[in-house]
Amino acid sequence: MYSIVTTAIVYGLESRCIRVEADVSNGLPVFEMVGFLSSEVKEAKERVRTALHNCGYTLPAKRITINLFPANVKKSGTGFDLPIAVAILAALGEIEKNALEETLIAGEISLSGQVQPVQGVLPIVAMAKEQGIKRCILPYVNLTEAKLIDGVTIWGVKNLLELTAYLKGKTYIEKEPIYIEETEQNSKKEDFSDINGQETVKRACEVAVAGRHNFLMIGPPGSGKTMIAQRIPGILPPMTKEEQLEISKIYSICGMLPQTGTLLQKRPFRSPHHTISINGLAGGGMIPKPGEISLAHKGVLFLDELPEYKKSTLEVMRQPMEDREIVLVRQAGAYRYPADFMLVAAMNPCNCGYYPDRNKCNCREADIRRYLGRISKPLLDRIDICIESPLICYDDLTKRKEKNEPSAQIRERVMAAVSRQQERFRGTGILYNSEIPSKDMETYCHLGEKQKKYMKEMYQKLELSVRGYYKILKVARTIADLDGTEEIEIRHLNEAVCYRILDKKYWE
Amino acid sequence: MKENRKYRYWLCCIRGIGNKTKRMLVNYCGSAKEIYDLKREQLLNIKGIKEKEADLIIEGKCSWDLEKEADHLSALGISMVTIEDEIFPSRLLELPDCPYGLFYIGKLPETEERLAAVVGARRCSSYGKNVAEQLGRRFASAGIGVVSGMAAGIDSFGHWGAIHGNGKTYAILGCGIDICYPQGAKELYHKIAEQGAVISEYPPGREPVAWQFPARNRLISAFCDIIIVVEAKKRSGSLITADFALEQGKEIYAVPGRLDDALSYGCNRLIAQGAGIVTSIDDLFLELGITDCLDGRQSEKRKNLLEKEELLVYSCFDLHTKNIEELVQMTDLPAAKVADILMRLCSAGWIEESFKNYYSKK
Repeated sequence: MYSIVTTAIVYGLESRCIRVEADVSNGLPVFEMVGFLSSEVKEAKERVRTALHNCGYTLPAKRITINLFPANVKKSGTGFDLPIAVAILAALGEIEKNALEETLIAGEISLSGQVQPVQGVLPIVAMAKEQGIKRCILPYVNLTEAKLIDGVTIWGVKNLLELTAYLKGKTYIEKEPIYIEETEQNSKKEDFSDINGQETVKRACEVAVAGRHNFLMIGPPGSGKTMIAQRIPGILPPMTKEEQLEISKIYSICGMLPQTGTLLQKRPFRSPHHTISINGLAGGGMIPKPGEISLAHKGVLFLDELPEYKKSTLEVMRQPMEDREIVLVRQAGAYRYPADFMLVAAMNPCNCGYYPDRNKCNCREADIRRYLGRISKPLLDRIDICIESPLICYDDLTKRKEKNEPSAQIRERVMAAVSRQQERFRGTGILYNSEIPSKDMETYCHLGEKQKKYMKEMYQKLELSVRGYYKILKVARTIADLDGTEEIEIRHLNEAVCYRILDKKYWE
Repeated sequence: MKENRKYRYWLCCIRGIGNKTKRMLVNYCGSAKEIYDLKREQLLNIKGIKEKEADLIIEGKCSWDLEKEADHLSALGISMVTIEDEIFPSRLLELPDCPYGLFYIGKLPETEERLAAVVGARRCSSYGKNVAEQLGRRFASAGIGVVSGMAAGIDSFGHWGAIHGNGKTYAILGCGIDICYPQGAKELYHKIAEQGAVISEYPPGREPVAWQFPARNRLISAFCDIIIVVEAKKRSGSLITADFALEQGKEIYAVPGRLDDALSYGCNRLIAQGAGIVTSIDDLFLELGITDCLDGRQSEKRKNLLEKEELLVYSCFDLHTKNIEELVQMTDLPAAKVADILMRLCSAGWIEESFKNYYSKK
């Protein structure tokens, strides 16, 4: 007797259909599984046999063969238990074969026959919808996530017996998915109006967000660098539906999607600790999982204490920052994860953190230079805006909160600047000013005669590099966009110069 | 004369014999050559020469190739002057432990040349930096040479001030004359040699050793007529210089600072002990009797050229460094506006960025 069941694996951010074939025929009693299986899938044999037994099904003394195909795809993950069990039951004739048509099954089962949740449900259901599969049978716990995709019938099952009953003809009754309300801590609104003082940093932040420029804050400990970084996602433009789905998929395959019953609405804010490994940052493992740069997709990756990160770790971000995605190549194939994030970094000016306040800072000049020099140059090259955040004084601390500008107001200005950019770059594939290639500088960052003369002076006076000069132009372009003017004026250039990266003399 | 040089160089380089002893020997024997020719017994006959010292001199002769070493010195382009020479700076001769010889690159100060020492902390604040630079510049314009130790911080800013003001400046090193210490000061080292002299009592090749630095401080104070301590913590090498200056009867001035500035403690303490106070550079010059190059009203002139908002920002500047955020708070202007104005003032050369987003008046 033969049967076939459809299931799926997650492959990168996408999912692929896998078929499970079961055959029960005469021969020596053996339970054989083939089809390029990883060890957790091989273990399914023991789980399925015991679970079936505990649910009252006795396997006959026959030759049972399971095949998973296409055989060239490495099968990994724990979602194969349930389809294998169902395929065996169908092959034994316990379930009608036509009950399994146009149905996708995925789930892990315990020895008692309980169905356990799996990761990556969102991409699986999305793929099922594309493939025209009508019904997905999934673990009950995953129901919330699966329901995010409409147009597909979802059955959430708690145990094997319940499932066989449905497949034998019992009507499925819609179950209420589990919703876990966002805890107070998660839903806490972080708003720029919480920050007293630091007007310059806030302004620089606004410019950085408007042109999606990578951003570095330098300042003593306790000057509010982290607080500001946390509030950046709040002034980024709202996410489109596609962006929400994409980022939700990433969180789904990591098992990190909150069960709120909606796609992720808030742009991610990731702040990995500086002890993070290369794999943790870029993504890794035998079957690569997305790293922090992908979890920060469409949001903010915040690296606090930048010089403390291992240089080699930061180096891996270079290519993803250009390509806005990372490709991890493994024996089983290439895994592509999006990584389009805004880099926000913070650091102290020296070891003790108080330079240039010489009354507190006792670091030697050479030590300060060494400390600053720890940052990878190529990474620094990708940072357009740099600002010093000083310790705030008492007057600022006690200032009335109502005077501070709320995030919503800042966001409005940002969005106006973003739409100006979209207008300008329509059809070019560029989204933000920070992405303007050097060959197009003249087109997009055109300077008038007066401005050119002024920048020439500045170029010589500040001993700028070519790269540094272009960065200033791009930032000035963004500032002009925020200002709502097409022409870059001297005041825009001036402000951009003020935000330029720390002078070369400090990095050597 | 030329002949004597190699003997003198040899005498300079003998280690373990104090400056006082060397001077006594020279006075006793007449010249370095005579000392070289002395036998051990003869040396021991001289009153005040111990056996150990006599041994050192004899041993020193054996391991020293007179011709080769003298040629080496000339090849390095280093000049040497000893107490027997006419041009030996007479101001040093009053020192009880006046060095027997000096090595230098450049041109030694004239006997009547007025010299001022600008000394202070190595890890200085930008306030100290500003003051040191301005002092250097103003002394230069008044034709007064600036003496200091070429150390990082105040010392080097004092030198730079003099260099930028096209004046004379002299660095007294605490190591061999051919060693640039700190290493990062190469450019300064060469500039000083061009616009004055780099001077050391230690022969070429002598490593920078900690005890040599306080010792060279006595030369700094001996060279100058007045000494100005710009910034000094509670324990500071500059205070040693000030002590020497006191012993040598030089005038001492200190730049005052705020009570809670650790970097000004030493200076304020000096003032309490009776040092002169630098209330402003103009005041200092008036006290010194220099009247022909006062600052005038440069800031006032500048202020007339500024727009209202520029003036608002520029008026916030004093001798202390200001962070851009402080200026935003002080002026209540939008951050973007302040950034713009700051850059305008920077490009006009009236202020400069001393560290990322920290600005100070020039």
